[in-house]
Amino acid sequence: MTKEISKTVLTEFDTLNFAKELIPEIEAGDVIALIGDLGSGKTYFIKAFCQCLGISYVTSPTFTIVNTYTKGNNKIYHFDFYRINSLSELINTGYNDYINDPEAIVFIEWADLFKKALPGKRVEIIITMNKDHTREIKFIRRDE
Amino acid sequence: MIVLGIESSCDETSVAVLRESGEFETEVLSNVISSQDFHKLFGGVVPELSSRAHIQQVLPLVKEALKKAGTTLEEVEVITATAGPGLIGALLVGFMFAKSLALATKKVFIPVNHIEGHIFSGFLGGEKPEFPMLVLVVSGGHSLLLLVKSFTEFARLGTTVDDAAGEAFDKVSKLIGLGYPGGPKIQRYAERGNPLAIPFPVSELKGRYDFSFSGLKTAVLRYVEKHYPERHIPEQDLPNIAASFQYAVIRALTRSVKRALKEYRVKSVSLVGGVAANKPLREAIAEIGNNQNVRVFIPGFEFCGDNAAMIAFRGYTLYKSGYGSDFEAETFPALPEAGWGEIVNGEQ
Repeated sequence: MTKEISKTVLTEFDTLNFAKELIPEIEAGDVIALIGDLGSGKTYFIKAFCQCLGISYVTSPTFTIVNTYTKGNNKIYHFDFYRINSLSELINTGYNDYINDPEAIVFIEWADLFKKALPGKRVEIIITMNKDHTREIKFIRRDE
Repeated sequence: MIVLGIESSCDETSVAVLRESGEFETEVLSNVISSQDFHKLFGGVVPELSSRAHIQQVLPLVKEALKKAGTTLEEVEVITATAGPGLIGALLVGFMFAKSLALATKKVFIPVNHIEGHIFSGFLGGEKPEFPMLVLVVSGGHSLLLLVKSFTEFARLGTTVDDAAGEAFDKVSKLIGLGYPGGPKIQRYAERGNPLAIPFPVSELKGRYDFSFSGLKTAVLRYVEKHYPERHIPEQDLPNIAASFQYAVIRALTRSVKRALKEYRVKSVSLVGGVAANKPLREAIAEIGNNQNVRVFIPGFEFCGDNAAMIAFRGYTLYKSGYGSDFEAETFPALPEAGWGEIVNGEQ
């Protein structure tokens, strides 16, 4: 069973509004795989989502691999697979512990680089850049 | 006093030995790094992130560092290690090793914040910076500007709101087809290019001293899409793109430094972190120092990237400032939301 919601956005403000719309769709324990090219706005989407939860200090985890943000009862793990070379390297970061934390929402940038590492039950956020500078953001909940 | 430092917060395992040579002054006796590849020091290439790699390297590196320093473990008085921020698996290896070693050999153990290690790395050169000091930390994972009043008082003035400076170099390098390592490749192409050829933007932000590099990355992407729809950039066009991008990064960083120099009366400016290896950035900061009559301190290349000498030095300054052994300390993957280098506004 899958559920899909899509939106075409032009500005950062549009992305923020769409993130706000998706807040009720996402709960603790969810793993959210972000897929999109360099510069498509993956980090910005997560920043916008976190902003809706009152978390204001989201930065790119490309170098740090995983960032942790907490605010009140909300706990977010923000992963980036961009610099990961192998599945074993990923496992060595403690990845399984992070994604199995029932109290946290886990975001994963460049998730398509290690599809094998993703749980079957997950949310995908697919961002496509259009020629006219708009972006299509697609939310898909997969229950495989 | 001899100090041993261990750093394992991310890609590199590094061990250093320092000897006290004066009040808050040390001599680096050894500073060994698991991968001595200069390019890696510039921020992000072929990472070896597995904690297993750190486990395999830490003991041989400690032995090598002591041997190179011409000393023995018995002579060491203080053992320091990076406690965070960093990758938890990587941090734990160096930290637990150092803690256990100190406990077993009854030595002082001082946990060190990795960013504080960078902040004071300007002291590792020959000359000693004077406080108050403005410090620009720019690396693959961190970009921040701080006002440092002493070894125990400092405040964050600004930080990146998205990507770190080193990350921007790597990602744009990939975007224009230059690949890894982004820093040195862009610098090399930029040498033959005109920095004013393409007016890439420097965004104005809510925080006067903050930086943003994500918008710049998108601007380069848009430029490439517009002028090279096939995504193939001819070799002769690369220097101008590289130079213009690099110039935009330098403008963003120097803008914050110039603003801070107007507001705060400081005696020194220090440029630290992996991106401090970038020559035009070093020159731009040196020039600001010249114009404003402030002395500039930039550590040598070996102390720019992640290294244990800066961790040992930071541990040493904490010990000298009255901090004692802390065997209760634990690793921390992220900086606390509050309570570390609180952002100050206005007065000094």
